[in-house]
Amino acid sequence: MKIKVLFLLGIWLFAGCENYPKDPDKTLEKVRHGTLVVGYAENPPWVIKTATEPGGIEAQLIKEFAAGLGARIQWQNDTEQDLFERLEKKELHLVIAGLTDKNAWKSKISFTKPYLQKEKDKHVMAVQKGENAFVLELEKFLKNQEEKLKKTTAP
Amino acid sequence: MRPIENFEYPPDLQKDFEKAKKLEWITVFYLLSAIVVMYLTMGNSQAMKTAWFEDLLSLTPSVSFLISARIFSRKPNEEFPYGYHRVVSIAYLCSSLALFAVGGFLLLDSGMTIVEQDRPTIGMITLFGHSFWLGYLMIGALIYGSVPAVFLGRMKLPLAERLHEKNLYTDAEMNKADWMTGLAAIVGIIGIGFGLWWADSAAAALISLDILHDGYKNLKQAVVDLMNQEPKTVNNQETDPLIKLVREHLSRKTWIRDVQVRLREEGHIYMGEAFVVPAEDLNLTQHIEEAAQEIKNINWRLHEVVITPVKELPEPD
Repeated sequence: MKIKVLFLLGIWLFAGCENYPKDPDKTLEKVRHGTLVVGYAENPPWVIKTATEPGGIEAQLIKEFAAGLGARIQWQNDTEQDLFERLEKKELHLVIAGLTDKNAWKSKISFTKPYLQKEKDKHVMAVQKGENAFVLELEKFLKNQEEKLKKTTAP
Repeated sequence: MRPIENFEYPPDLQKDFEKAKKLEWITVFYLLSAIVVMYLTMGNSQAMKTAWFEDLLSLTPSVSFLISARIFSRKPNEEFPYGYHRVVSIAYLCSSLALFAVGGFLLLDSGMTIVEQDRPTIGMITLFGHSFWLGYLMIGALIYGSVPAVFLGRMKLPLAERLHEKNLYTDAEMNKADWMTGLAAIVGIIGIGFGLWWADSAAAALISLDILHDGYKNLKQAVVDLMNQEPKTVNNQETDPLIKLVREHLSRKTWIRDVQVRLREEGHIYMGEAFVVPAEDLNLTQHIEEAAQEIKNINWRLHEVVITPVKELPEPD
């Protein structure tokens, strides 16, 4: 009985914590009011390359996400393969390229939960492994955009 | 040919046996539900994966108990003159081997995640319209997967001792120790939440060490049982005092000058031989038949002790 009460108390304590869960490498802390380094590869209509910063559904989402964190974005364009390798080396915080959960590159990086389903494709973004606070923040943001996204992407 | 007699638990133990079977059915259904709940919430946590495997494996003793409970009481026949009791020992060997092998595999697996610095990603879950960190749900699933098991284990332990049922005993002990696994995995997940990515793999390694230890202990027991080690008590693995009782009972007979007894375990029951040097040959057959019956009456576990008259006994070493 005592153990149970302790458990519940503990869980309640953590749930009450603002900064829980935390990142091993403090990504979220660094990005908030700092710089979000985003890698992108063109894949219309999700990511569209322009002369200046990229456009498209996902690029737009990330701009809003960064604004919410008070962060400015540093865009980095590359091939999907190279982006993943750089994400693995923690040179990027995030990769957008119209990715789906079918992507085979799963070893040293993580994908978000699918934020949108179009026919059979479940769309995801790529993040560093184990940066749970950052992932949670991004997933919560994407979840909130769900309704809006369904409308804008409806055929 | 005379097959051994059919075995049934004595009336006072039959209730215990029925209760044990009922508890094992409850255990199987409970574990299945815990396995499903944990699988759905497991995510990327190595500790949770390990705890999940342990729950999956802890099905084997209960399932093998229930299967062997259907088989062991079958009547001995021409084909199986010693009956079906060994099926209990075989079930025991299988479940302990599974424990041992998977424990080893999981230890390697969690060691690799530390070496490769494989960081667990645990994100968001949406449940009933609320979005929150999946880690909380995992902790809930782990509590569900370990707390009820402790109570089941505590209920089964005394039954296993009374029924001389090693499979049931292993099962009860594992259930009883389940809270440690659950707690280790919970600590691992709380650790992930604090940004300590290695806490998860460390917890997983600890759990797999526990599985490996259980496996080794039981595997050793199962092997020596099948090698006809002298009967040991279920709860503390000491030489069963019944062996001494049989020897003493026979030594008290005036028609017996000297006696040596050897017994082996066949599942719940003991069988074996008593070699006696008769002091007189008068009514020897009748004496032997009577003494055999008396031994049977000492305890239900002494299922069949064959008394053989011999001219002399070898010197004990």
